[in-house]
Amino acid sequence: MLFSLAWKNIWRNKKRSLIIILAAALGLWGSLVAGAVWMGWGESMVNTAISRNLAHLQIHKKKYIQNKEIINFIPDGSQVLKKVRTLENVHAVSGRALVEGMAASPTSTFGVKIVGIIPAEAEKVTDIHNRLVSGNYFQSSSRNPIVIGKKLAERLGLKLHSKIVLSFQGLDGSLIYAAFRIAGIYKTDSSIFDQSNVFVQQTDLFRLLNSKPIIHEIAIRTETSAVLPQVYEKIKSLYPDLDVQTWNELAPEIAITSAAMESFTYMFLMIILFALLFGITNTMLMAVMERIRELGVLIAVGMKKGKVFAMILLETTLLSITGGAAGIAIGVLSIAYFSHAGMDFSFLASGMESFGAATIIYPTLPLEMYVALPIMIIVTASLSAALPAWKAIHIQPSSAIRTY
Amino acid sequence: MPLIKLKNLSKTYNTTAIPVHAVNNVNLQIAKKEFTAIVGPSGSGKTTLLNLIGGLDKPTGGSVFVEERDIATLKANELIDFRLHHIGFVFQAYNLIPVFTAKENVEFIMLLQGISKTERDKKAIELLNAVGLGERIDSRPSQLSGGQQQRVAVARALASRPNFVLADEPTANLDSHTAESLLDLMEQLNKDYEMTFVFSTHDPRVIKRAHRVVTLMDGAIKSDVGGKN
Repeated sequence: MLFSLAWKNIWRNKKRSLIIILAAALGLWGSLVAGAVWMGWGESMVNTAISRNLAHLQIHKKKYIQNKEIINFIPDGSQVLKKVRTLENVHAVSGRALVEGMAASPTSTFGVKIVGIIPAEAEKVTDIHNRLVSGNYFQSSSRNPIVIGKKLAERLGLKLHSKIVLSFQGLDGSLIYAAFRIAGIYKTDSSIFDQSNVFVQQTDLFRLLNSKPIIHEIAIRTETSAVLPQVYEKIKSLYPDLDVQTWNELAPEIAITSAAMESFTYMFLMIILFALLFGITNTMLMAVMERIRELGVLIAVGMKKGKVFAMILLETTLLSITGGAAGIAIGVLSIAYFSHAGMDFSFLASGMESFGAATIIYPTLPLEMYVALPIMIIVTASLSAALPAWKAIHIQPSSAIRTY
Repeated sequence: MPLIKLKNLSKTYNTTAIPVHAVNNVNLQIAKKEFTAIVGPSGSGKTTLLNLIGGLDKPTGGSVFVEERDIATLKANELIDFRLHHIGFVFQAYNLIPVFTAKENVEFIMLLQGISKTERDKKAIELLNAVGLGERIDSRPSQLSGGQQQRVAVARALASRPNFVLADEPTANLDSHTAESLLDLMEQLNKDYEMTFVFSTHDPRVIKRAHRVVTLMDGAIKSDVGGKN
């Protein structure tokens, strides 16, 4: 009956209650959608980086990351490649020969990382081949084909089929100059990546280096993200002398950014709930002051102050939960829709590409958020109820009954 | 043994500035089954006296005994509990809970007492029938006339099975016919349920019906007609 009284009391002033419920619903909906977009953005950055070049795991010679000289290739790299391919839960493996060099055109030069690949292998690990804006992915018959990023092409003033000269240091320290023909131009979500990475066939690179096949980096895609830890442990145990790293160790800034998005979401929610706290407190204070006489009568006829306190707390909680439930419901529906349809942020394309994020974001929220949110709403409601309930239990019935 | 005994009862406001002696050294005894009116002009202390008897206010001097128990010594929650189980209230402005029906208003007191739903339902209907509102149990106060609301208030006052009912100006907001009808009801309840009624009033219709009239002037008893004190 106390529940029934509390619920009916909320609807005494329909307009006021609806305003606060709408405010709560809109505030929560906004923060949920914003949070989901941030987290979708974080997830997009991670997935994009993994698909673009990081893969799930990479193997290097120890300390290669600190000293990326051409001589620091993986000892017996081909054997390692072959072995890793046979491991359980490994989806695909690609060996890369990496050389730091310069790319030159008639008008400009730019520092690049030359990535020597076997295209058929690389296609299974990265998605560069799906990101061509012109040309093809090493299907041309031209000598020394190269695939470069759109950003680099623009910087060097080059287009498809143009000649580009790469210069780099050989294994013996000598400088090597070689002309390549642009067979394809790709564009990823990272403009920084596009201007820094060029792809050539390993056979061409080894011929220019006058070297047997050497592998500086082995990139591995696991079957799923869930099996990543066990594949990581397996490879580490097989090759304790090599550097085995997961994507978040290779690109901690991406991992941190992605994790930060979840923190931002909680922070934003707390800000919204904090603002709502004042709105709800104000509303309930008005509701209590309007009912001074009635509350005085209730205390007079025998309602203990604890029950009065509980009634105000219940009213506040019901008001908050109603708004909260509406906000969560609309939020869930919005997020469910956009998680399939995607949200187009192409108007922010240049900014998002510098972060390596896609322009179509698929919002996502972890399940624990939907569990945490009702708890946060109830805590907010309880805090909101404190002052109005305190006022209510300190009513003097003899004077309250005379209030008009 | 008197039901209510007031011994040297006083209530003074503004003790540090200009003191106002709202109730001034009152000695009074009210027995069971009495139908007593406390009368006097505005400012004579009738309402204050009723508040003191009902435990809604604490005296600044003296004692209030209800069935030999000094209620002025009770702690806040004990006093609320005491009112719930021993005292029924009828107010001038009815003071029903507007979101509840007539039946729910009567039931609420029994809910506070911890009575079961089945018994509450039965008792509430019985009381509303006794006050002549058996057909309006599901009506809200806004759907009832002033007289009907006051009848619901009487039923609510009786719901807790109190020792006595305190009625503060119960007919003040009612027209003559409705007031007479309400007084008929209260007299009937006094007879049938042996319920003690103590009124604070300056309504001559109530004074005419009262079996005992205690007149207050400036917080003190001026006269006491018709009862044994």
